[in-house]
Amino acid sequence: MARPLRGPGLDSAAGQPTQLLRRMMVIRAFEAALAARPDHGFQLFSAGQEAVAVGLCAALETGDQLLTSGRSIAPALARGLDPGRVMAEILGRVAGPARGKGGRGHLAWPSEGFFGAHAVVGGNLSIAAGVALAFQIEGRRDVVACLFGDGACGAGALHETLNIAALWKLPLVLVCDNNQLSVSTPRSQALAPARLSDLAAPFGIPGATVDGMDVAAVRDAAARFVARARVGDGPALLECVSERFSSHSTATRETRPKDQMAAILARCPIARLAGELQRAGELGSADIAALEGDVAREVALAVAFANASPLPDPAEALTDVG
Amino acid sequence: MSAEPVAGTMKLFFREAIARALREEMQADARVILLGQDVGAFGGSYKEFARLQAQFGPARVRDTPVAEAAMVGLGVGAAAAGLRPLVSITYMDFLMLGLDPLVNYAAKARFKTGGQITVPLVVKTTAGARGQGVAHSQCLEAWMMGVPGLAVVAPSTPADAYGLLKAALRHDGPVLYVDHKRLFPTAGEVPLAETVLPLGRAATRRQGRDVTVVSHSFMTRVALEAAERLATEAISCEVIDLRSLAPLDLDTVASSAARTGALLTLEEGQLTCGIGAEIAFQVREQAGPIRTARVGAAPAPVSSNPVLEHAALPDAERVAAAVRRLLDAPPAERP
Repeated sequence: MARPLRGPGLDSAAGQPTQLLRRMMVIRAFEAALAARPDHGFQLFSAGQEAVAVGLCAALETGDQLLTSGRSIAPALARGLDPGRVMAEILGRVAGPARGKGGRGHLAWPSEGFFGAHAVVGGNLSIAAGVALAFQIEGRRDVVACLFGDGACGAGALHETLNIAALWKLPLVLVCDNNQLSVSTPRSQALAPARLSDLAAPFGIPGATVDGMDVAAVRDAAARFVARARVGDGPALLECVSERFSSHSTATRETRPKDQMAAILARCPIARLAGELQRAGELGSADIAALEGDVAREVALAVAFANASPLPDPAEALTDVG
Repeated sequence: MSAEPVAGTMKLFFREAIARALREEMQADARVILLGQDVGAFGGSYKEFARLQAQFGPARVRDTPVAEAAMVGLGVGAAAAGLRPLVSITYMDFLMLGLDPLVNYAAKARFKTGGQITVPLVVKTTAGARGQGVAHSQCLEAWMMGVPGLAVVAPSTPADAYGLLKAALRHDGPVLYVDHKRLFPTAGEVPLAETVLPLGRAATRRQGRDVTVVSHSFMTRVALEAAERLATEAISCEVIDLRSLAPLDLDTVASSAARTGALLTLEEGQLTCGIGAEIAFQVREQAGPIRTARVGAAPAPVSSNPVLEHAALPDAERVAAAVRRLLDAPPAERP
């Protein structure tokens, strides 16, 4: 095996391989359960990109904050948010952390370290820098991570944020989940840099590109950048090259040909880690089956919890404005 | 206004009133910070931030690069995380570069998080024409009045600048605070005692019987000048200064218009979908048929050429002429 499965200096159980695998499996099963519902509404799924969210979150501590793009289900669950509450929010039920008013594109639960999703491409970048600025001014040792897609990398928001974050040494880790597509436009036709992490160099901050289908590689690279930011060494840019297993959204048709999709689906980050753990003798097929049953039960409970919660009173359309 | 000092007040220029409000709020609350271009040692384009960095240090009074989108975003994020930032956008024309974080995030954060996040942010900017051309002159307040969750204030006196800025810095949601270039050279009496002026309250600047003229910011002075001229013709104008555009103090305007029977709206911005259109409609919804007329900028860019700038903008004579036409018109009829 080319690299150790266990991360250096990560003593939390959440960073260990079986837990990483479990988290990715929960996300996959959660999204499948959501997709199967006729009332799922407009969704952007993370299938194929679980390793980026789970690897990044394994590098974060309790007091840190995570901000994400609108493709937010994987990062929310990876951050450890209760799946039942998340399912309730996505289905518009009042038991959601935002009483069902935010939905998938704006999932937020700041007290749990998930400052929130924001469904404007690149829109959360400068917001995340502002949260990091508040942490810096308040003298906190907490770090802010911002997860965004390759689609955000052509926007001025990223370049303005990189400049200010570098200049002020903000405790900010920018993580690009590069799924190589902006809706239907290939990254190669939208962005000039050879590697998106090359965008770090002009601002004098560290950058790295890792395989986003390899959860341990994401975790280790993120942990290195988070550790720097935590001790005041400033921001960094991490690119994780991933694959999107479904079309951009539930309202968008798939544009990739079938043979290309077959090759993409064969790169599944969950199957990859499960296989590695089996080959390393850490898990047997009975363990995997037990894990699958456990995950299915957790997702079923989440769905039942959400189903039991009502939709909001229409009067809530006018509350919490301003 | 009397040349004698008024008891319990002191004469301040706009820039001094703004600096005083910020100084008091920064002293009282360590969460208040200031971000903007040239706000540090330079003290702001109008010296309205003079000596604040020397007093509060470069961590709380920060010069930023020219990056309005990120500047507003930083302020929004810092506010969402618990600070109370003021972000200075030098000219209102440049505010449009920062509208995404202000409109898409700040104005919606409390709603979309079910009250988990609030954004106590002030974006301070300067509107209005004063010889600086098509991209340094615009009054875009009307654009911002229709954003649910965003408050908009635009004072016309140093006392209101002081009191409204303090209220804005204490407000728990985002506030757009709008100065005007032609107001910076003016001075006025400001209370010596600490004063906070609540958002959403208009002021009647002049009482009158024949027509209600409603305006805000620098155009309030134009309205008062027009009222002086019309008084020599035995036309009595009531002049209302909105001060706050969102929330809007409709009751003060509507009750005045109901009493005078005629309403003239005056703004430096565009008339199409403008503040006057909105107010006139709302007044008629509340008070019934009232003669109304609007005065605003010509439907054209505002040039730095003084002849063309003057041709595009309202002045006291144009306002007076519009009032005369309005009062000569037949009474409004019920539709």
